[in-house]
Amino acid sequence: MSMTEHRIGTQDEWQAERDALLKEEKELTRRNDELARKRRELPWVQVEKNYTFDTERGTKSLAELFDGRSQLLVYHFMFGPPYTAGCPVCSSIADTLAPQVVHLKARDTTLLLSSRAPLEKLVAYRDRMGWDIDWVSSDGSDFNRDLGFLNTEEELRPFLEGEIPPTVVQMADASGTDVAGYVTEGPGLSAYAVSNGTVYRTYVTTARGLELAMAYYGLLDRTAHGRQEEGELEHWLRRHDEYELP
Amino acid sequence: MPDHAVGTRDQWLSARKELLAAEKEHGRRGDELARRRRELPWVPVEKEYSFETGDGVTTLAELFDGRSQLLVYHFMFGYGYRVDQENPGCTGCSFVADHFDGVRPHLNGHDVTLVVESIAPVSQLRAYAARMDWRFPWVSSLGSDFRYDFGAAFTEEEQRSGAEYNFRHEDTVEPQREGMSVFVMNDGVVHHTYSTYARGVEQLMGTFGFLDIAPLGRNEDPHPGAWWHRHDEYEEAACR
Repeated sequence: MSMTEHRIGTQDEWQAERDALLKEEKELTRRNDELARKRRELPWVQVEKNYTFDTERGTKSLAELFDGRSQLLVYHFMFGPPYTAGCPVCSSIADTLAPQVVHLKARDTTLLLSSRAPLEKLVAYRDRMGWDIDWVSSDGSDFNRDLGFLNTEEELRPFLEGEIPPTVVQMADASGTDVAGYVTEGPGLSAYAVSNGTVYRTYVTTARGLELAMAYYGLLDRTAHGRQEEGELEHWLRRHDEYELP
Repeated sequence: MPDHAVGTRDQWLSARKELLAAEKEHGRRGDELARRRRELPWVPVEKEYSFETGDGVTTLAELFDGRSQLLVYHFMFGYGYRVDQENPGCTGCSFVADHFDGVRPHLNGHDVTLVVESIAPVSQLRAYAARMDWRFPWVSSLGSDFRYDFGAAFTEEEQRSGAEYNFRHEDTVEPQREGMSVFVMNDGVVHHTYSTYARGVEQLMGTFGFLDIAPLGRNEDPHPGAWWHRHDEYEEAACR
């Protein structure tokens, strides 16, 4: 990699600028706490539909997915029925989710993955990736559709008729499907609470809202060169067993 | 009914959209700070530091392992939260480190090496890593000034008279604290670019991000940290 010409400074010069930046970092952290508080103030919406999920312990309802805890977080992993492998970006997210499951349980929270592909496909892929996290199939329920993470052909037409970004072609290809098949699925996170046996949806996010699940960005944002993604025609992310490292 | 405002889908949606605007603004502010971090001057590291890897002694330059950027996490060992002879790794740092193996292949694939450093014999680090099932490189800085110079360990004198932690003078400091220091290799010279401590470390972990979207949030009463355990100790903690 070619080094950019960068300003070299003394320890004192660095310190003065670091101190100024720290003030703003603290402000951003406090602002983040404030947003978290606002999230908790959102009204809860009762989930009235009966969704069913195919799980390794049989068919379960949304309430049963809580597994006895009071909070449920579902990562909507892009793995549609025609995919032959999970989306690489969602896979990088799952790499960081699996080790958190045990800590979140300690906060009375169940975290799991949900996709539309049949359960056996999901489980086989999870074995390949070595993740210790529950994965359920919402195949046959409107779960993803109702949250906006399943797009119809008609909704996709303007996108598919436009110029397709090369990274989308790359990800579709890596998932063993075509572009239309790939973008039929959308990534997302949804959060639920259960109270007196009733399930409430509390929060839903997607797009850059998912960066909270991409811990490598937090780290890259603190490196000398940052994310280095601007103008890249090919996304740098790979599945963790697919990097060609020296 | 739960002890919380319940609304219709439409009420939720309008509140959610308002919040989204604030979240996007926050995200852009985060991008702006990341840009500012990259603008910090780079400071040449002139001192020679050496680390014990278990397979020999290595330099800071060698820790880059051929990549251009290096992240070093200052892991508290032999001192810290819920530490005793059988459990020498700090519970808080263990929680942070649980996040590392998942991100490491992606960082390595993007020209960044992540290494963990502690002031302890490497045999003890290896034994604890085996118990925790961690694979990341973990080196010993025992006998080196490295961690002291980068503000995450303090001499006995500093502990008595106070020192700077997180870029602020503290009248009393602990022997070790958590932090991360960042380096870049430029024309064969190692430069220090960034360090972060205390809650700055929180930004390197995914779990808090998840709790921040969970209905009850971090739910940390009576005090932050009361709920964390090593990942193999939670059941035991629940029984107590």
